[in-house]
Amino acid sequence: MKRAFLIATAVIFLIVPPAQALELPQWHGFIEQDFGGRLNQDSLTKHKNYNLLEQRVQLKTRYAIPGENILSAWNGVFSYKGDFVLDEYFQTTGSYEVRELNLAFSPASFMDIKAGRQVLTWGTGDYLFINDLFPKDYVSFYIGRDDEYLKKPSDALRLSLYPEIVNIDFVLIPVFTPNTIPDGQRVSFFDSFEGGIAGLNSDRNAVKPAHQARNIQYALRLYRTFGSTEGAFYYYRGFDPSPRSYLDEANRQLFYERLDVYGASLRGPFLGGIGNAEMGYYRSSQDSQGDNRLIENSALKWLLGYEKDLGHDLKVGVQYLYEQKLNYSKYREALLSQDYYWDESRHLLTQRLTKLYKNQTVMLGLFNFWSPSNKEGYLRLSCAYDLTDQWKLTVGFNLPWGEDNLTDFGMMKENKNAFMRLRYSF
Amino acid sequence: MKKILVFLAVLIFTGNAWAEELNVGQIVAKANNRSYYQGKDGRAKANMMVTDAQGRSRQRQLTILKLNIKEGSDQRYYVYFHKPNDVKGMSYIVWKHSGKDDDRWLYLPAMDLVRRIAASDKRSSFAGTTFLYEDISGRSIDLDAHELLAGSDPAFYTIKNTPKDAGVVEFSYYTVSIDKNNFVPMKAEYFDKSGKLYRSIEALEVKEIQGYPTVTKMKATDLNANSSTITEFGDIQYDLGLSNDIFTERFLRTPPQQWLKE
Repeated sequence: MKRAFLIATAVIFLIVPPAQALELPQWHGFIEQDFGGRLNQDSLTKHKNYNLLEQRVQLKTRYAIPGENILSAWNGVFSYKGDFVLDEYFQTTGSYEVRELNLAFSPASFMDIKAGRQVLTWGTGDYLFINDLFPKDYVSFYIGRDDEYLKKPSDALRLSLYPEIVNIDFVLIPVFTPNTIPDGQRVSFFDSFEGGIAGLNSDRNAVKPAHQARNIQYALRLYRTFGSTEGAFYYYRGFDPSPRSYLDEANRQLFYERLDVYGASLRGPFLGGIGNAEMGYYRSSQDSQGDNRLIENSALKWLLGYEKDLGHDLKVGVQYLYEQKLNYSKYREALLSQDYYWDESRHLLTQRLTKLYKNQTVMLGLFNFWSPSNKEGYLRLSCAYDLTDQWKLTVGFNLPWGEDNLTDFGMMKENKNAFMRLRYSF
Repeated sequence: MKKILVFLAVLIFTGNAWAEELNVGQIVAKANNRSYYQGKDGRAKANMMVTDAQGRSRQRQLTILKLNIKEGSDQRYYVYFHKPNDVKGMSYIVWKHSGKDDDRWLYLPAMDLVRRIAASDKRSSFAGTTFLYEDISGRSIDLDAHELLAGSDPAFYTIKNTPKDAGVVEFSYYTVSIDKNNFVPMKAEYFDKSGKLYRSIEALEVKEIQGYPTVTKMKATDLNANSSTITEFGDIQYDLGLSNDIFTERFLRTPPQQWLKE
């Protein structure tokens, strides 16, 4: 990170003569107090009564490069966003998270470039991601931080081209950033090495791909509109952002297996609302036959979604996700008797309800995940109130449940919480 | 012979009508074009102050870019939020269509997320203000039956507008007073199902900009909620030469700097 910052700073100062940098950039951001109390004690984790307690200061700025220089002529914009966090859960002295530090410019009328740290998102799902393999922070999601923190930034180069026929986004990510997933410190989870729900006792570790040219990740999106309907093709070459494969069982090591994803999506007006459909073929090239019990198999994922505005500031949305592991019989044949294993398929339904009150200053939100095949679910409830233009109070619940300990939400069932966020924006 | 006389009578009668007064459809069309379709394109920075029943105020500041595709119907809008600070940098685009739902996309910069917005209810509040979506982007004149009333002030046309489909709106009718000189609608009053006035929109200031009479200050009042919003438009400019491209995902993600002064 330090290196990226230095390079970006150097670029700005080399290209922009200081004498012209008279118009100072505007700074905005917020100060926030967050608290998330557990609904049931979880003595496996660091604190059994709560899983979120922190103060956060976010500062951000956008600065259009001034003067007579090439970057200015290219509409160059420098963006920075960083959070200073006092995380009382870990009783740290404070940490600094740079979420954006990039330079965006248009060297030609049909081309945009964004280089540096940035948040990247695409695809059509609502909290469900098939072709968006960019890193996410699921711990933040479960403990009640703002939605913003579900997405982690990537250090990337994004090249966008806009010829007549189709729009092209090409993203190059030199250094791998994994998802942040439960590790037992803050949120307990199912650890196959421990043979059950684990917390601080978990000592598994995940080995990241080495910094090598062959480990550079690429993501491509081709998209355009057909009337009111948007169509897109996606390609990703990189690694599974969550560690799902075993590198060394004896040393409790996991790794991020290589992953190629080919996908497509459609989104547009449908039955008085918005419909979307997306699919992805996940190719696990290190286990292309599917007969290695230690490495995740290839898979197919399908998503259908629908959202409708019912009027009076009430919106509803539903989604259906179907995932199927490929070469499943070979995988089952390869398993050892004591192995935990994945099911062949998974059905997941989601429901969203959003209602605004009091001139849209109060928002009630419900989002429910429910998997009939895995007998698990996750209900998210929130109420956000804009007390003034500056002050916002958000309270809510995270309620994962499940019959089994191995499933995505079932393993989270000891982590139910009620959270509160108070934010002052400036 | 009789037929010809009747024909001539009709011709003379209607001819006179044309010479003296426009018919109600023409008045409404002219006022609609004046309000929403002046110039090829346009830009304005709107400063909206919302005041609620307790006297508390909230501010919304946004830049609106507009491009006419087809006069009286299809348009594109680009809206960029400057204030409040927690939504600063958020933007959305609208492809307004006649005869079908508009297409809307919202961009949330914090997540780099382009969302498609299902928005069939145009009579919901615009950005939490007393104005409704339909007040900002216009209500299709085909949705109402129009009737010219004998207004009290001879300087104005008074039009009564009754929705053809009363089930989808909250009003039973609304009246609009249109300035006879320049066809600027100066006041709209909305009446609920019991015939009670509950909502009004007033033009508080009209200026001529690049030859186009333009409302530069307006007020919406919700009499039931006892709240109101005053909108002042600044940096107004017509015929900027905006291209279609601005109103696409590309410029949601990368706001068009040259049109969005702070």
